Formats: sequence, structure tokens, C-alpha cells
Amino acid sequence: MSKPVVIIMIEDDEGHARLIERNIRRSGVNNEIKPFRNGTDALNYLFGANGDGLPHKGETLLILLDLNLPDMTGIDILRQVKENKFLKCAPVVVLTTTDDSQEIKRCYELGCNVYITKPVNYESFANAIRQLGLFFSIIQVPRTTS
Amino acid sequence: MASSRGRSSPHAFGQIILLAAGLVILTLISATSVYLVNKTREASRSTVHSMEVENEISLTQLQMRRAESAQRGFLLTQRPEFRHAFEEAASEIPPSFERLKALTIDNPYQQQRLDQIVPQTNQRIAHLRHNIELVQANRLAEATEMAQQEASRDAMGQIRSLANEMRAEEDRLFAARMKSADASQSLSAAVTSVGSGLIVVFAGLSIFLVRRSSRARDVAESQLRDNYLNLESTVESRTADLREANDEIQRFAYIVSHDLRSPLVNIMGFTSELDELRGDIFKRIATLSRPEGAPPPAADETAAEVEPVLEEPDKQLSQDFSEALGFIKSSIAKMDRLISAILNLTREGRREFHPDRIATRDLIENIASTMAHQAAEAGAQIRVEPLPDIVSDRLALEQIFSNLIDNALKYLKSDVPGDIAIRGRRKLGFAIFEITDNGRGIDPKDHQRIFDLFRRAGTQDRPGQGIGLAHVRALVRRLGGTMSVSSELGHGSTFTVTLPTAWTGINRDKQS
Repeated sequence: MSKPVVIIMIEDDEGHARLIERNIRRSGVNNEIKPFRNGTDALNYLFGANGDGLPHKGETLLILLDLNLPDMTGIDILRQVKENKFLKCAPVVVLTTTDDSQEIKRCYELGCNVYITKPVNYESFANAIRQLGLFFSIIQVPRTTS
Repeated sequence: MASSRGRSSPHAFGQIILLAAGLVILTLISATSVYLVNKTREASRSTVHSMEVENEISLTQLQMRRAESAQRGFLLTQRPEFRHAFEEAASEIPPSFERLKALTIDNPYQQQRLDQIVPQTNQRIAHLRHNIELVQANRLAEATEMAQQEASRDAMGQIRSLANEMRAEEDRLFAARMKSADASQSLSAAVTSVGSGLIVVFAGLSIFLVRRSSRARDVAESQLRDNYLNLESTVESRTADLREANDEIQRFAYIVSHDLRSPLVNIMGFTSELDELRGDIFKRIATLSRPEGAPPPAADETAAEVEPVLEEPDKQLSQDFSEALGFIKSSIAKMDRLISAILNLTREGRREFHPDRIATRDLIENIASTMAHQAAEAGAQIRVEPLPDIVSDRLALEQIFSNLIDNALKYLKSDVPGDIAIRGRRKLGFAIFEITDNGRGIDPKDHQRIFDLFRRAGTQDRPGQGIGLAHVRALVRRLGGTMSVSSELGHGSTFTVTLPTAWTGINRDKQS
């Protein structure tokens, strides 16, 4: 692997972001994590100034996505990512408080790779994140080339 | 409704009065007509009678004349045919008088005249016969003289005048009878025409009344139709408002419960972080407070990881710390359960119901079999009696009955083997289901409370959030039914669920 995997974390709640990051680190994943607090910033970073996603050609990205963002819903981001020819191979992990079956179904239909509900029970939450971290450490993430 | 009926009743009363009056008048007319016709017939019979009498009088006079002229003829010619003619005419007279007598038996005046005229006539006839006999005895001169004498006496004149009197009397009677017949005929005509006139008037009146009342009814009908339409639109707009409000509440509940979860994750997460920190801090304190040089007890290093050895005041601090964190954690867990419950309820509220034909007994036996393990543990039996089939939403019914049976199993008495029975019957388009247990029962003062969200009653020794019954009642309402409980503390409970046998998908909150 020429370039390490970059984890893009789109999460509006600072506390959640911190907890996620800590638990990922605890599981021994040391990849770079880029946090974004709202959808617009994240989209700007992902798609660049032209909005075509070209800047990340050849990079290896993994997207951690919250569905409830202040400026848009995560589902919009998911759709745009999966419609972009450079980014559509990047795995998307939806991590949200909603456990509505309709919502989950929709996310998978749009091409999300993993859907995780944030449990309030911290032990299970931490567990889930750590397992996700372990998962990150073993999965092969394709480069965003097409 | 009542006022319109009150308004219409005078009309109906007037109609009845009119009809009754018409009937009375018709009866009167026909009675009078019958009476008058009878009278007229009588009068005409009397006139016929009068004519007969007059006829008889003339006949008698004619016979008298015939007798007289026959006698004269005989006197002049002595021919026997005249004598025969005389005898013939004379023999006709007495029967004529008999008939007259019989005809005028009711009239004393005529009888009196007859009494005078009969002897005179007889005498006259006797004289005539005497003359004839004189002629036969060839005493012609004597006979002629007799005849002249008699003519001078004018016996015939007297008879004639009597007969004229009688005829005049009969004429008078005849005129009177004709008059009375005329009078009764014209009276009958008058009565008939007046009566007909009255009936025509009544008919007109009643047509007027009928038209007026039918017009009033038309007006009332159109008003009613307007009112109905108004009501319809009012109900529609209210329903729309309610639906909107309901949807808004659903959305609100969903958003609130969803958004409340987010901070809870943080609180819980950082509380756990604090817990870890606590471990680290007290471990450090333990290391620092340990006398220099004294090595940590190497034997139970793993145990020290979990609970470091502390001095008494520090130990107390550590315990207080854990206690506070424990309360925070348990409260958060409870709050999370409540929020999940609200979320589930709102999700249920948003689910579309589909009416379906359901074999209720099979459905409940299925539920009972899935709870068989739970029932065996509680030492209870579940009896499902024959139940009426209904059209309703399958999932909702499953949730209703499994909640109720679950509750019955949960709150049994520990000293008595549990007995749960599900019964059902039909009544007026509704199916009534009863879930009866012999459990611990519910105090009547709590009967309302147990259906409220997050409220529970009795000894709190079972897990639960106080959602089941609230949820069940919401479902029953959405299915167009009602539910109630009857119970006494310590004597078991009976939950009664009344559902429409054929639910069409339309209910009070929401129209499909």
C-alpha cells in the first residue's frame, strides 16, 4: 500500500467524535482521522472545488458517516459519494442513533457498506467502535481510482 | 327535530278535522237524500191516489149518465137494448162506490160526501128503474110525467154538485201533495248542492294544507341537507386538523426522542471515561501513598489492576466516586429505555394498518405457544376458548394479545398456580374478548393509571417501563375499539377488549 487509509469522520457531535476517535485508537488503529462537523465542509473536502472528487484520485478513503447533521442529512452525502466515479469504491460506515428499519434499508439500498447504531450503553458502544477499528485494520480498502 | 314535529302537528290536526267534516257532510247529504226521496215517492203515490179517486168519481158519473140516457131512450123507443144498457150501467155503479169508499177511507170529508151521494144515486137509479117498469107496464104517459117531475127536481144536479165537491177536494189534495213533493225535491236539490259545495271547499282547503305542509317539508329537507353538508365539511376539516396535529405530535415525539439520544450517548460515554479515569487516579494515589521502597504485592497484580489497595480515607473517596457514577449510569440507562419506548410508540403510530380476515383463536394459540416456556416457569396454564373471527390488523392484534397475556403471566400470585383464560363473544357488530387471570389484581384506584404512559401500579418487583398497556390501548383505539379492566386487589383481573368484527381501516384518528 503506497498510501495509508484515511478515515473521514463526519459527525456533528463533538463528544461523539471524541468517543469514536478514542475507541478507534484504543483498538490500535493509528490511521489518520479527518473529522468534519457538518455536511458542507465534508462535501467540500471530498469533492474538491470542482465538485468532481478528482483531488482524491488514487487515495484510499474510509468514510464514517452520521445521518443527523445540522445542515443536511447523511443520506444525501451517502448518495453523492456513491454516485461519484472516484469515491464510489470508498467504504461507507453509517454510524448513527437511528435504528429505524426503513432508514437502515434505505442506507443499504444507496450503497452503504456497514450500518451501526450508536448504543447508549457505553460498553457496547465502545465495543462496537473497537470492533470497527479491528475491522478497519484488516479490511482491504480499494483506492479511489476507477 | 322535535320543533319541526311540533310545527307539523297543527297541520295534521286540521287535515283530520277537514276529513271528518267532509265525511259528516257526505253522510248528512245521503241521509237527507234518502229521506227526501222517500218523501217524494210517498207524495207521488198520493197524487196517483188522488187521480184514481177522481177517475172513479168520473166513472161513476159516466155510468149515471149512461143509465139516465138509456132510460130516456127506452122511454122514447121501448126498445129492449136500452133496457139492457140501463141495467148494465146501473150494475156498474155500486162497485164503483165500493171502490171509492175504499180509496177515500182515510178522508172523512170525502166519506161524508159519499154517504150523501150514495143514497141519492141509489134513489135516482130506483126512480129510473121504476120509470122503465112503468113503460113495460104500458103506462108510458105516467112514466114520462115522472121523468119530467124528476128532471124538475134536479136530482141529477145535486149528485153532480156533490161529485164536483169531491173532485174539488181531491184537486185540492192533489195540488197540496204536488206542492209538498216539489218542496221536498227542491230541498233535496238544495241540500245536495250545498253539501257538494262544502265538500269542494273542504277539498280545496285540504289541498292547500297538504301543499303548504309539503312545501314546509321541502324547506326543512333542504335545510337538513345543508346542515348535513356543513356538518360533513366541519367534521372533515376537524379530522384534517386532528390528523395534522397527530402527525405533528408523532414527528415531534420522534425528533425529540431521537435528538435526546445523541447527548445521552455523550453523557454515558464520558461517564464511562470518568470511570476509567477514576480507576487510573486511585491507582496512582495508591502508588504514591505507598511508602517508598515497599514494592507492590506482586502476587495479585491483576487484582490490583481492578481494585488498588488504598488507605481508609482514600477508599471512602473511591467508593463515593463509584456510587455517584453508578447512579448516573443507571439513570441514563433508564432514560434510554424510556426514549426507546417513545420511539417505538411513535413508530407504531406511524405504521399503516391493513384489515385482514383473522382466525383469532389460531392467532392467540400461537401467542400462547410462544409463551409456553414463560408460562411453565411461572407454573401457569393458558386456556384459549373458542373465539369469534374478525377482520382487523394482524400485527396489531398480535401485539395487543401478547402484551395482555404477558402481563397476566408477569403479575401472577406466587402461592397459587396461575390460570389465564381467553374468552370471546360477538355482540352487535363487535367482538368482545376477555383475558382473565387469577393473579395479584389491581386496586380500583389504579384502573385508570395503568393505561397511562410510564405509569405502573402495585408492587414494583417486575421489570418494565409502564408502556405495554398504554400501547395496547392506543392500538385498540386505532382499530376502532375500546378496552377496559375490572379487577380487585388480590382477586385477579379481567381485561376486556372490544373490537369491531369488520374493521375497514377507518378509525377515529385517521381516515385511510
